[in-house]
Amino acid sequence: MKTTTMLAALLASTLIASPAWAQTIGPNGETATPSSEVVLTDADIAALQGKGYKAALLWHTSSDFINAVAAGANDEFARAGVDVVVTTDAGFDAAKQRSDIETALAASPNVILSLPLDPVTSAEAFRGAIDAGAELVFLSNLPAGYVHGTDYAAIVTDDLFQMGKQAADVLAASIGGEGTVGWIFHDADYYVTNQRDNAFKATIEADYPGIEIVAEQGISDPARAEELANAMLLQNPDLDGIYVTWAEPADGVLAALRSAGNTTTKIVTLDLSEPVALDMVKGGNVVGLVADEAYELGRAMAAAGLKGLLGEEVPAFVVAPALTVTADNVAEGWQQSLHRDAPASVLSAK
Amino acid sequence: MSASSPAAPASPVRALLARINLQQYVVYVGFLAIFLFFAVVLRDSGFLTQRNLVNIVLQTAPATIMAIGLVFVLSAGDIDLSFGSTVAVSALCAAMAMAAMPAAAFPVGILAGLGAGLLVGAINGVLIAWLRLPSFLVTLATMGLVAGIGRSLTQLRSIPVTDPLFTGIFGSGSLFGVPSLVIWTVVAVAIGHVIYRQTRFGAHVLATGDNARAAQVTGIKVSRIRLWVFMISGGLAGLAGLLYAGRLQAAKYTLGETDLMTVIAAVIVGGTLLNGGKGSVIGALVGSLLMGMLNNGLILMGLSVSDQMIVRGLIILVAVAVSLREKTR
Repeated sequence: MKTTTMLAALLASTLIASPAWAQTIGPNGETATPSSEVVLTDADIAALQGKGYKAALLWHTSSDFINAVAAGANDEFARAGVDVVVTTDAGFDAAKQRSDIETALAASPNVILSLPLDPVTSAEAFRGAIDAGAELVFLSNLPAGYVHGTDYAAIVTDDLFQMGKQAADVLAASIGGEGTVGWIFHDADYYVTNQRDNAFKATIEADYPGIEIVAEQGISDPARAEELANAMLLQNPDLDGIYVTWAEPADGVLAALRSAGNTTTKIVTLDLSEPVALDMVKGGNVVGLVADEAYELGRAMAAAGLKGLLGEEVPAFVVAPALTVTADNVAEGWQQSLHRDAPASVLSAK
Repeated sequence: MSASSPAAPASPVRALLARINLQQYVVYVGFLAIFLFFAVVLRDSGFLTQRNLVNIVLQTAPATIMAIGLVFVLSAGDIDLSFGSTVAVSALCAAMAMAAMPAAAFPVGILAGLGAGLLVGAINGVLIAWLRLPSFLVTLATMGLVAGIGRSLTQLRSIPVTDPLFTGIFGSGSLFGVPSLVIWTVVAVAIGHVIYRQTRFGAHVLATGDNARAAQVTGIKVSRIRLWVFMISGGLAGLAGLLYAGRLQAAKYTLGETDLMTVIAAVIVGGTLLNGGKGSVIGALVGSLLMGMLNNGLILMGLSVSDQMIVRGLIILVAVAVSLREKTR
């Protein structure tokens, strides 16, 4: 599973969406500020350069997603002449994260970017960093009881609602705004996937009266996606489209459709992944992938921390946009999301 | 007489080296060498600050406590793979007990945490010593079993620990300026060392690990010794759980999860044989500090996470290879 979805387990008590599913809002009800508004000006850069400022990236794990976030942050820090002196991976271990923070503080970083593993265990862990005067910018999650401005500079996260909504929009467009769809959601108490899945469903129900969700199937183990999809297709052989909660189980759904010789049911899923993207560019069942802008998340985190360092006002809750990737913009989409080329197989199949 | 007399020593240096039992010093030499390396390379990066050096001891305190238990188990010729999961369950039991009885948080927290550890140790011990099941398989099974219980105890949620006495004594407190985790480390190592080296029990543990059948013949109650070493390992895992809970002011099912391999490496590098009969509590302490120092120094060197893992793996490989080669000569 991609890291963004793994993060979900950690987020449950920090971020809430409004009951009407209108938008992603912050842990204390803060409205979201688009990440595009958190930008270092030339004056900021000039004020930062040559000061010997240092940054630390204290991640919770290592993954493709985190690599892209870190790349965004590293590039932004480099632009401002700030050295990234420490990078760590806590391996989802709260005790290791605490040790990583203490170790990093020996290098006296001025800005710390991190994903706190969970609100409870991280509350004490980051206190030392606050006492040391470092600017803290958190990815997606907030330690319990932390106050914006005094304890941390900003939280930066995905626009989860938009991801689900855009998935609904691209699927609806591909079936002409009418028909029946299946909804394969993540059957677990995971904030990120729950938000995205529910946003898809809410958008279909609210915005597309011609589309009916006729089959709902929860999934907890991506390896079982094929058998679940087979069962869904057995009961609903004429489904026009299927939403799959993220790319890994979408592989299984795709396998089920292929073995049934089904070329008409459309699939939309979340996160960039080579197998589903390949099917999409070859004109298969997949019509769209909705991704987050991981690189932009990292860039905005670094910019928020540096603005905090300069004593500027930083919005409490910053959201990076969602991105719809179709066969038409797959090369650009990969660049925009992960800041690197799409896999060669995908590019050459176009 | 010719100069090629076989009795003539090759050189004074070699003679001296031959007299010194190198195997005992591998971990100390390695520790010193790596310390000096970091001290030079990271002289401007905060490695040598008192705060950072104290941090290394604080961060390794739970692993050191676990390592002491493992020295006893390995020395008796067994292995314990379950102590990592036991740490989490002990921490969770302590946190839950304190939340349930806030008026008596401190004593019930200790009782629940240590009790959970001792219980797991006793179950391991009974299965291994009396039912004569292999310790590797028994503790592999209880590792999964206990981890599952840890996950289900709180449905993966973290439990905060707020009792100031508890978090002071097991976490952030200090006595005469010495952090409590340092005190725990010193006390546990001192007691462990004395029991291991100076008591009949320690001798019996080593005799059991050296040759259980021979030990039995000489009147050592081998089954009881094996039960005890697992109780010690479980109890110390419980104590490590309390230290984690105190340090993080919270308990979570993932605590201790990643410590298993680090602790085994620390103990082996520290001069304890995997197949029993020989070991060192002080060596385990230095091995544990070595692991902590490696983590710390490699992070401060600014290496990427992947490079940190590669370098750490290579250094541990070299350390284990050297210490095991020396021992089998």
